[in-house]
Amino acid sequence: MRHFLRSIFLHILIALLTGLGIGLAYSWFISPVTYVDASPAILRSDFKDQYRSVIAASYASTRDLARARARLELLGDMDPVGELSAQAQQMQASGESIEVVQLLAQLATDLQRGVVSIPATNTPFVAIVNTPTAEKLTTEEAPQIEATQPVEITPFPTSSFEQTPLAPQQLVTPTARPTFTSIPKPGTPFTLVSQDTICNIDLQPGLMQFTLIDSRRRQVAGIEIIVNWAEGEDHFFTGFKPELGNGYADFIMQSGTIYSVRVAEGGAFVSNIFVPTCTDPNGKEYLGGLLLTFQQP
Amino acid sequence: MTSSNWIKIIIALALGAALGVIYGWAIDPIEYTDVTPGILRADYRADYVLMVAEAHQSEQNSETSARRLALLGSESPAQIVTSTLEYAANNSFTQNQIILPQGLLTAMQTYQPQGNNAP
Repeated sequence: MRHFLRSIFLHILIALLTGLGIGLAYSWFISPVTYVDASPAILRSDFKDQYRSVIAASYASTRDLARARARLELLGDMDPVGELSAQAQQMQASGESIEVVQLLAQLATDLQRGVVSIPATNTPFVAIVNTPTAEKLTTEEAPQIEATQPVEITPFPTSSFEQTPLAPQQLVTPTARPTFTSIPKPGTPFTLVSQDTICNIDLQPGLMQFTLIDSRRRQVAGIEIIVNWAEGEDHFFTGFKPELGNGYADFIMQSGTIYSVRVAEGGAFVSNIFVPTCTDPNGKEYLGGLLLTFQQP
Repeated sequence: MTSSNWIKIIIALALGAALGVIYGWAIDPIEYTDVTPGILRADYRADYVLMVAEAHQSEQNSETSARRLALLGSESPAQIVTSTLEYAANNSFTQNQIILPQGLLTAMQTYQPQGNNAP
């Protein structure tokens, strides 16, 4: 009797576990939960990149920073500005047109600064803000020039989806302050106004920093810089590190290599550039960096 | 083994299967992390189309707009915009939010793909 009871209990247990396995196999593999109402946060990364590009293109048209920010939040990025900047750099490296790259860089810059820097336009644009000094590049934001006329900011109404977690309707955009903007005149060349050796042991050795400013000393994003050396050449643009300034760009030099720098579109040409040597207070030598400042006359 | 015991075993099997399905569907379902935009919720799709329409308003580039809309699936760009307009009509979109996709729809209806349409 005892043996029989143990036997039937074992059979029931095995049947239960077998049923459990069948149920899990069915619900996980044969007929898993089907997503039909996905959110942008779970999109594949390449689709997220395209989504970001469209957000940036839409922002370039509407200049609605709050709405662009809300849309970016849908993607669930921990650091939306960083993602935009990284994507811009990747797209630039992959040969994407500068117009597309600039859209992303511009949105990253505006999000970083919290201001809408340029008016709606359908032309490639460059936002220009006041130039921080070289020493302040990493720590301070340039002050915005306030418009003398009060500007009405009319936010584009947010979609009034009942079930959507999209951007909340905003009657005012408190962070958006109007700024003067300018687009560099085509053909106005940048000239070298200063070339300073930077001796800071905390900076990466051989760091060559660039700051491009316009005639009103506001930083200029989207300007191509070309660095040449004996074995190669590199092209990059200002504005991809908005946290360091719209007109900022940098390049890592190698010790023992002579470089030349040219600002694209007829800008200044600077030759015979190399990594400077600095000395710390203990008399020990280390590799320093350079800061080149270019300005439109 | 008696028929009574067989019934017990079958009931245990069914119970286990039911528990497994509940666990697999409700408690710990498969999580999707790399989905395609084709299964975006309707309001997200509508907002995406609205973004494309906003960009199109200033760019006026049908090729680019069609490429962006192709992200949402294999339907024609005009069909995608039409679906959005239907959604907008049923969900109290503002006038401006309807006018922009209407402009985009007109562009997509007259758009003729040329050459390479790779996104």
